[in-house]
Amino acid sequence: MSTPVYAVENLVIDLYTPTVSVRAVDGASFHVSPGETLAIVGESGSGKTVMTLGPLGLMPEGVAVDLRGTARADGRDILTLSPAELSALRGGFFGVIFQDPMSALNPMLKIGPQLARQAQLYAGLSPEAARKEGVSLLARSGIPDPEDRYDRYPHELSGGMLQRAMIALALAARPRVLIADEPTTALDATVQAQILALIRTIQKEDGIAVVLITHDIGAVSVLADRVIVLYAGQIAEEGSAIDVLTAPVHPYTRGLLASVPDFRSESATGTKEIPGIPPNQAQLMPGCRFADRCDRVLPACHSHRPRLQTIATGEVPHRVACPVVIAAEGIATHD
Amino acid sequence: MQRMFMRRTGLAVLLMLAATALTFALVSAAPGNVAALIAERAAGPGADGPMIARIAEELGLNDPLPVRYLRWLGAALTGDFGISLRTGKPMSEEFATRIPKTLALLAGGGVLALLLSLVMGLAGAVSNGGVLDRLLHGVALVGASTPNFFVAAMLTIVFSVMLGWVPTFGVAGFTSWLLPWITIALFPGSVLSRVVRVNLQEAMSRPFATTGFAKGLTRRAVLFREALPNILIPYMTTFGAQFTLMMIGAIVVERVFGLNGIGAFFIEAIRFRDFIGMQAVLLLFVVFFVSVNLIVDIAAMLADPRLRRPRRA
Repeated sequence: MSTPVYAVENLVIDLYTPTVSVRAVDGASFHVSPGETLAIVGESGSGKTVMTLGPLGLMPEGVAVDLRGTARADGRDILTLSPAELSALRGGFFGVIFQDPMSALNPMLKIGPQLARQAQLYAGLSPEAARKEGVSLLARSGIPDPEDRYDRYPHELSGGMLQRAMIALALAARPRVLIADEPTTALDATVQAQILALIRTIQKEDGIAVVLITHDIGAVSVLADRVIVLYAGQIAEEGSAIDVLTAPVHPYTRGLLASVPDFRSESATGTKEIPGIPPNQAQLMPGCRFADRCDRVLPACHSHRPRLQTIATGEVPHRVACPVVIAAEGIATHD
Repeated sequence: MQRMFMRRTGLAVLLMLAATALTFALVSAAPGNVAALIAERAAGPGADGPMIARIAEELGLNDPLPVRYLRWLGAALTGDFGISLRTGKPMSEEFATRIPKTLALLAGGGVLALLLSLVMGLAGAVSNGGVLDRLLHGVALVGASTPNFFVAAMLTIVFSVMLGWVPTFGVAGFTSWLLPWITIALFPGSVLSRVVRVNLQEAMSRPFATTGFAKGLTRRAVLFREALPNILIPYMTTFGAQFTLMMIGAIVVERVFGLNGIGAFFIEAIRFRDFIGMQAVLLLFVVFFVSVNLIVDIAAMLADPRLRRPRRA
């Protein structure tokens, strides 16, 4: 396996607003290599966005952030960078696509200049060359009549076209890592498939690393090589997409997969929801964070925090943080 | 878009008619008798009842209010605003000499308020919670709560009396405008600086600002390139409202600094119960208020690409 371009280890992220403090990420590690797609799965508030974008300094204004652990971009520690160095890294090394393209693009500015400036900044192009580059980026993202769309305002394009423009923007500086934060959540179902296909094409052509943040299991199965399942800021399970999707072990992963409707069945009877709501991360209890919602819970779950155990080695180890299921189902561990 | 312009303009004309009718009725209802005042001016204390009655009859003051309003409006539309009871000069003449002074006061004050608010608001946003941000917040608070006659007095004491840099009174070259401009710009500048600051903060928390950061822009670049264009529309509408309020400020400021503009004339007209003068100035105020608001409305529509170029379904 090639060297990771973006690697995070033992990351702890505390968020502080004037009224509450929240441990959004609690000791999570992940890495992604060129040409590979890592999917980070979890429900809203599980910390998947904070974990991925937090080390890049992409947090909302007014929230104080405390980061511990290490985060490396191409081997370089990014948690110790100055704000200016981090800005340069965000523009050049990382490209980011956001959930809602309608609000992620500036409504007062034309689309083309919003991405051409990127090309201009990072490739040192003249304004005319930047426009040409911008148009070709739009064309590459599958936008018809890119010359015309270049001079349009965001409100003049559909959601799908805007997300294509957003992808063009994210790729303008030729990044090594593309972070897609729920790129299809705000789009129509038919458009979702097109956007996922576009991301996959670009990844193949450019050999970039993709981090896909999502709660859409369908998107995971289409794009992901590896999967991390995050629950309340901790990794519940990780492994190859095939292992995690076809042989899930953690009760949360199983619940998550069982809650996906099966289109082959006539009714929704096969669909199961996970009872309860995620814990309030402002006041966490010791022990397993999923314990209160888990159908396999034992008394010890409430007092002992489960650690990740390797249940399958190989190129992509399959690791699970649930000693209860591992013991009950007689699964062999390797550490 | 064009239909919208027509509608707004039509509404503005209706509003002017309604407002002038209302002010006409109010001035008519005010205590005092125009005919008696004219008689007094002509004959001194010797004016008697029959004389007053004759004048009233000649001037049509006994006609019903709507008739008088329409007659006055018709004359005003042809540029005849009557003759001031106080100065004895036609109001059109008074306007010709006084409007330029008031316009100079408002234009200078408006430009100053614009600069003041942008510099203060942007500096605060750059500082973002720092010492400068809090200091400017305090300055804006003081600026928005100090009455302009007090500001005028303090400025005069310091810069005219103590330092002798600028004249205290009257119009004598560029420097004589400085204190009136500062006085009249302080309140709108302070209020608008908060509009700039608060709207910038709001824009900085929107997703497109995060996109800006993700593009590798520094905070300052996001602030100026991404957030600043987004405060344009709320800023323009508030600026329009503040600019019209400056006309009210001009009434006091012109008097304090001895600028013989419309505002100073209005105060004198009230003091001398110059109904003709009052009525003419009120018409001017109404036209000014409604036109400024109309211009701002249309400009704000043109500034917003979502309104300027609506998406074709």
